[in-house]
Order: sequence, then C-alpha cells, then structure tokens
Amino acid sequence: MVRSRRSLAAKWMLLVLIAFSMLLPLAWMALCGFKRDLDVLKTPFAVLPQVWEWHNYTAMLHDRQYMTAVGLTMVGAVIFTALSIAVNALAAYAFARLEFPLKRVLWVLCIMPMFVPAMSILITSFVVVSKLHMLNTLAVLIIPGVASAAQMFFMRQFFLGMPTAVEDAARIDGCSRWRIFLKIFVPNSGAVFVVVGIISYMAYWNAYVWPILTISNPTLQQIMPVLANFLDDRGPQYGQLMAASTLAALPTIVLLLVFQRHIVAGVRLSGIK
Amino acid sequence: MPTTQATTPRKRLGSVTAEVVEAGTPERRSSSANREERRTAYLMLAPMVVLLGIFVVWPLVYAFKQSMYQGNFYKAPVFVGLSFYKYVLTDPGFYQSLKVGGYYAVIVVPGGMLIALLLASFIKTLGARMASFMKTTVYLPTVVSAVIASVLFRLIYADQGLANWLLGVVNLGPKNFLGNASMVIPAVAVPGIWLGLGITTLIMLAGLLDIPESYLESAQLDGAGFLQRTWYITLPLLKNVLLYLFVTGLVAAFQEFLLPLLIANGGPVNASTTPNLYIFNQFRSATPYAMTFSITASLVLFIVLGTISALVFRLIKSEKAVDA
Repeated sequence: MVRSRRSLAAKWMLLVLIAFSMLLPLAWMALCGFKRDLDVLKTPFAVLPQVWEWHNYTAMLHDRQYMTAVGLTMVGAVIFTALSIAVNALAAYAFARLEFPLKRVLWVLCIMPMFVPAMSILITSFVVVSKLHMLNTLAVLIIPGVASAAQMFFMRQFFLGMPTAVEDAARIDGCSRWRIFLKIFVPNSGAVFVVVGIISYMAYWNAYVWPILTISNPTLQQIMPVLANFLDDRGPQYGQLMAASTLAALPTIVLLLVFQRHIVAGVRLSGIK
Repeated sequence: MPTTQATTPRKRLGSVTAEVVEAGTPERRSSSANREERRTAYLMLAPMVVLLGIFVVWPLVYAFKQSMYQGNFYKAPVFVGLSFYKYVLTDPGFYQSLKVGGYYAVIVVPGGMLIALLLASFIKTLGARMASFMKTTVYLPTVVSAVIASVLFRLIYADQGLANWLLGVVNLGPKNFLGNASMVIPAVAVPGIWLGLGITTLIMLAGLLDIPESYLESAQLDGAGFLQRTWYITLPLLKNVLLYLFVTGLVAAFQEFLLPLLIANGGPVNASTTPNLYIFNQFRSATPYAMTFSITASLVLFIVLGTISALVFRLIKSEKAVDA
C-alpha cells in the first residue's frame, strides 16, 4: 500500500516533469508574447513577464496583413480538408469494396505517390501549375494536394474492416453502391474522417514552401509565409513576433484538443481491422 | 407442364426467387451487375486518378524528361542526355550536403527513438486518465509547424536566449549555437526531435501494447529487471516497429530542410545545408542551368532514398511472412 502510493507520487512527478519539458518551448513562446521586446531576451528568467504587455497580442489582432492571412488560410484549409476527405474516401471505398478490371494497376498508381518526396517534384509541379495558369490563385494552394495516397490508404484500411453484413442486406434490397457509401459508410466513419481531416487541415495550415513558390500576390498570402517574413522584418520586435507565432499555432492546437478523443478512437478503430 | 413446375416453387419460396431467377440466366445478369459496379468504381476513382495524374505523375515524368534537357524558362531546351547526372554526382557541394543530411538524421532518428521508447514505456505504466493526458502532451508539439518552431528556436538560441541562460546556470558559459559550424546541426536537431516525438511515441506505444503481458510478467518472476526485460523481450518483439520507424524517420530526416533554412539559413558556410536545402538553394540561384541541375539532384536523391526504403520494407515484409 505504502509502496504503491510512493510509486504513484513518483509517477506524478515524472509526468509533470515530462509535460513541463515537452511544453516548455510552447509556454515560453506564449509568455514571451506578453513581454516587452527587450524583456524577451534580456531577462529570460523572469519566466513571467515583468510587465504584462497585452498590446503585442492586440496589435497582431489589428494587423491587417496578418489577420487577412489568418482568415484566408482558414478558408483555404476548410475547403482543402472537405475536398480531401471526399476525393480520398470515394477512392478508398472503391478499392475496399468494389471489383473492377485494372484494379491492381490503378491501386499501384494511387499508392505510388506515398513514395515520391515532395521535393523531387516541387520544381516541375511549379512548372505544371504555371502551365495550367493556376499561379496566384486560391486553387493552386488547394487543388494540387487534395488527392493523397496516405489518406486514401488509411481510409481503405478502415473500410476493409467494416462488417459486410449490413452492406449485403442493403445490396439485396436493391441499394446502389452510391447509396451504400453515403448512407452506411459515411455516417459510420466519423472518427476516421476526423483523423484524416485534422491531418489535412494541419498540412494546409502549416504549409510554407508551396505558398511561397506559387503566391506572389500579397492579398493571397498564407499564414506561415507571413510569419516567416516577420522573422526578418520584425526582428527586434520580439514580443510581437512571439505573439504572432502563438496565435498562428493556436488553431491547430485547439483543433487537436477538441478532437483528441476522436483521434484516439479513430486510430484504434483502424488498428483493430 | 415444365413451366408451371418451375414457377410454382419460385412463388412459394418468396425471397429466394431472385436467386433462382439469377441462376436461370447467370451470364446476362452478372455481366450487367458487373458493368454497373465497374462504372461506379471508375466514377469514384476518377477524381483521385485525375488529380494524381496531373499533380504527381505529370510532374514526375516531366522531371525525368527535364533532367535530360539543358534549359530554363526562357531558352529552348537542348537534349543533353545524362550529363546533368554526371554534374550532380561530381559536385562537391552535393556530397557536402549529403554529409550534413546524414549527420542530422543520425542525431534526430536514434535520439528521437530513444526518447520516444522511454516515453512510451512510461505511458504504458499509467492509468487511463494519466495516459491520455500524457499522450496529448507528447503529441502537442507535433501540431506546431516547422515555421513556428523555427521562429521560437531562433530566439531560444539567441546570445541571451533560453538555451544560454540554462547553460549559464550550470556554468558552461554562453555559446554561439548558430554561428558555430560544429554546433549548428545538433542545435537544429533539437527542434527536429521535439516536433517528431509525438507520432513516434504513439506508434511505439501501440507496438508496446501488442506485446503479451505474460511474457514480461514471467520474466519479472524470473528476476529480470526493467533494463533486462527491455533488452531481451521488448526490443526483439518491437523489432518490426523499430525498423519501420527507423527507415521512415531516416528518409524523412534526411530530407529536412525547413528547420535549417529558417533557423540557420544553411549556414554558417553551408554547415547546415541539408540535401533538400541545397537543391532548393540551387533552384533559387541565378545560374542559367539552375533548374535542370536542381531537378536532377532531387531525382538522384529520390532514387537513392527510394531504393533504401524499398529494400528495408521488403526485409520487414519477408520477416513478417516467416513469423506468420
């Protein structure tokens, strides 16, 4: 009894220690957002700000360039996520449940992109989208990344594990494949859609290289390039830089915390098979 | 009459009727059903196949073609065969970047895996609530982008930043992390490990949970300590997971370029120019053949890394087959 209580206390201490060291950089960033520029570097330890400078955060919220980028990136990320789930789920269902000629060939074609590093086709992708006159449009940020081999593969694994009994019954009742997909598979795939949705959203929100290559129009700037520019433009304004970084990390962190249960459920479901 | 004999039982059997009818004309029925299913399948696959065709296959094929043509956006390309592959393979800058990438990967992958193994072993001993808290905590840095991590760690590594303050506490004095060629890669590796830890830990945890508890219990009864149990039972049984994480991690780490670009800008003097950053810089440089050169270099890298991972995955697969 005593021993188990002592080990529990040790566990709690270890837990706090690990949590502290994992989250230290993030917490420091958020707190620096409240500091005066000089305090960020001069007195790192005063961990807490000597003067709480709310101005850094409110300045970012009133910064037009920054807020436009935030809004636009969010809109793009939502459209991207929805399209990505739709396109990949349809393909995943076809591969999981339907039989058709050339299935193997198409499977290899659809799974191959998992092994192509983004960098090796970055330059020619740029040439391709410029040939398609997509540069400096919202479409160039959204469309090229929508079809994802990894997402499709993940959903197919899950669909393969869905029981066939309900589907067979629906087939006998004369239900078409489309209806089966929409009325049986989609409503039962919430957890999996959440997982792939968060991955898509994060990928879009955090993108840096593709936007800096394809967007030069300042009204279409995405959040990460804007933030990286701050790094050089606002060098000495450390407080604002940290506030901007914190705000830019917030949406994905909130998303993770809100959907955290579903993520675990989704991973577990597709793991059971 | 044969026809009535055939129809009456059909009516009586009700739901079976459909099958009987189908059995009567099997070929016609199934082929029309197949045609329907085929059409549905192709319609469902169409968006995926079209998009991948335009945005992955086309650029890839185009890259292979382009690597054999000398040219840029403004001049008509000239066929030069494989000579750009020769230029890439004899360029000292390319090999220097391979060394840098290798050094970075050698720190990030084993370092990250070791920390992840310890974290996962710890999480496994926790109750449900603490475990889920811990999983979220470990996973949180993963959602932070490389850009934000770079902004953050550039300040942490500043002359009077957090890192130097911590060193000052243990009297190791201030260090110029990002201005020192021998220190810049380890310095960039720290955020690299921090960002990747979440997913590695969760995959390892899944692997640990698959190990039958009875193995570990019986070893404990025989007097094996934590380290012995880890070395003789956990690690061998985790082999496939570890191999998977090692290869995917190595291939990913080798391609890292955002962190070194944004934290150290490849410097000092190329000390943090990883292969992809090298390729990226080549592309941005103003030399007339920059495009062909960087495309060729990225294809060389793709072929090397692709071959390595294909070989190792083949290895894992064949071992699994033996196990089963």
